[in-house]
Amino acid sequence: MATLKIDLYDVYLSVRFELTKHRRRKRIMIAGALAILVPLLLYIGYYLGSDVSAVDFASGSTGFIMLLVIVAGPMFAGDAVSGEFQRKTGLLLFPTPQRRVSIISGKYIAALIVTLLLVSLYYVILTFQLIHLFGLSEIPGDLGKSYLVAVLYASSVVSLFFFFSSVFNKTIASVMVGIFVVLMLLPIITGILIAVDVEPWFILSYPAQLVIDVLKEGSGGGFDGEFHPSFGLGVVVMILYTLAFFLGSAAIANRKGME
Amino acid sequence: MEYAIETESLTKQYRKRSGLKRRSVFTALDGVSLKIRKGEVVGYLGPNGAGKTTTIKILTKLIRPTSGRAYVNGVNVAGSSQEFLRHVGTLIEVPGIYEYLTPHEMLTYFAKVHRIPSHEIDSRIRQTLGLLNLLDWEHQKTGTFSTGMQRRLALAKAILHRPEILILDEPVLGLDPQGIRDIRELIRQFKSDGMTVFLSSHLLGEVAEVCDMVIFLDKGKVVRSAGINDIVNSSRFKAVKVKFAKPLSGEELHRIRSLGMVKDIRQADGVVRIEIRGEAEASYQILRELAAMGFDIFSYNPDVLGLEDYYISIVGDERNVK
Repeated sequence: MATLKIDLYDVYLSVRFELTKHRRRKRIMIAGALAILVPLLLYIGYYLGSDVSAVDFASGSTGFIMLLVIVAGPMFAGDAVSGEFQRKTGLLLFPTPQRRVSIISGKYIAALIVTLLLVSLYYVILTFQLIHLFGLSEIPGDLGKSYLVAVLYASSVVSLFFFFSSVFNKTIASVMVGIFVVLMLLPIITGILIAVDVEPWFILSYPAQLVIDVLKEGSGGGFDGEFHPSFGLGVVVMILYTLAFFLGSAAIANRKGME
Repeated sequence: MEYAIETESLTKQYRKRSGLKRRSVFTALDGVSLKIRKGEVVGYLGPNGAGKTTTIKILTKLIRPTSGRAYVNGVNVAGSSQEFLRHVGTLIEVPGIYEYLTPHEMLTYFAKVHRIPSHEIDSRIRQTLGLLNLLDWEHQKTGTFSTGMQRRLALAKAILHRPEILILDEPVLGLDPQGIRDIRELIRQFKSDGMTVFLSSHLLGEVAEVCDMVIFLDKGKVVRSAGINDIVNSSRFKAVKVKFAKPLSGEELHRIRSLGMVKDIRQADGVVRIEIRGEAEASYQILRELAAMGFDIFSYNPDVLGLEDYYISIVGDERNVK
């Protein structure tokens, strides 16, 4: 019990230290600016003449959340562990009384907190825009579900980038492999599986589509109208991605020697 | 007896790929056994690649040994959590610095990790930075720091929690002469406070200045360990340097050489170096003989073999180089 208490305090210290570093590096400001600017541009776009419903506006806007998550992933998780090896700051950080897993967990939680704050900021702005443009009564009922999916998708992406950050010692390698997997490999596999008539329910980029689909239920969406990710299964898949890749990264980072 | 640091047949091997499929094994440490008593200041000497940093990384749980055991404060390093490091301060290789943080921010984190009470943290940081002449930079981002300042900050992190054992890997690397002198004084202070210091270096002068004991490492093996005093004493009476009123002739040199306790004699730049057979008494006896022979002597000093010569003689022996 006492050990757990010590470990939890170390995790807390690690989270705070990581958040301080994110703040000092101004990455939060850059990603935050993106989270504010994108909905603002869409808002301006609406005023420039497009005639869309509240659901269309919301689903169009939430489509950009994927972009935000893919930017935030490498920013906050891509070099979280590999950076300690590449810049040799690990020589200061690791020979201390904290367990390696406490440090790693703190880093992961900090990356998750920042990314989820950005996603939340995006949805808060979107909600205010919907209220202003269409009125409170027109807010799509499933905006909350879309937010939940966005949060889970962001968690999965953070876990994926964090995993590659634990695998590689060079930040460029961890970030590039992460981007390649999230932006290219997973969508390509999804496309191939759909082409051969297999529902890719287990590939992250497939349930991620639910961010938009839940807003447009009964009005199409999905992949070529043939497959529609199920909300329940999608949530489970994303939770599994989040947990599996975090646990994998913790196991790798814990055993990794600082040669 | 519980040692501050103890290793038993510590071995570390690395597998290196030397072609498309072939893998060769490189032995960085080969059965290293060390025993360092509490309160000792021990120099760990060896050429580059001897295995000094590998030993230190094993002692601080950064890497695992292939075989053998390491104990710090009686705790088996490989078989325990990181908790033993609560009483250990470390400076390993050239660590990176969080360049977007200030020394205060960075040290505050490490102070909390070492459970320094909150109300003491600020004063402890100021005190430590003061010791390392960094107080004026307490709230400046470290990204602008010179190599020497970064090194001093890393050392500040190592001593912030006043550890019982301090493990330093090339602590004066990148420091200017003033910085080197400051670190030397600090180590002397730690020694008088009863701290155990394990110091790896290839700068022999530094080690000779502050250490009680020296361990020589070469090609992953301990080739000798000895007390600094023993090294100095064992070499002190091996030769004397004598300055005569006028240069000696060949005949005069021959007369001195014929003395029983003289092993060899050479004259260069007005100084005669006499190698002695026997112990300290032989040195006094030669002086008496020279005076009896009527030589006018300006000075007569033992020619002390430095740690550097001792080191070369050991490593040379190991490599069959004389």
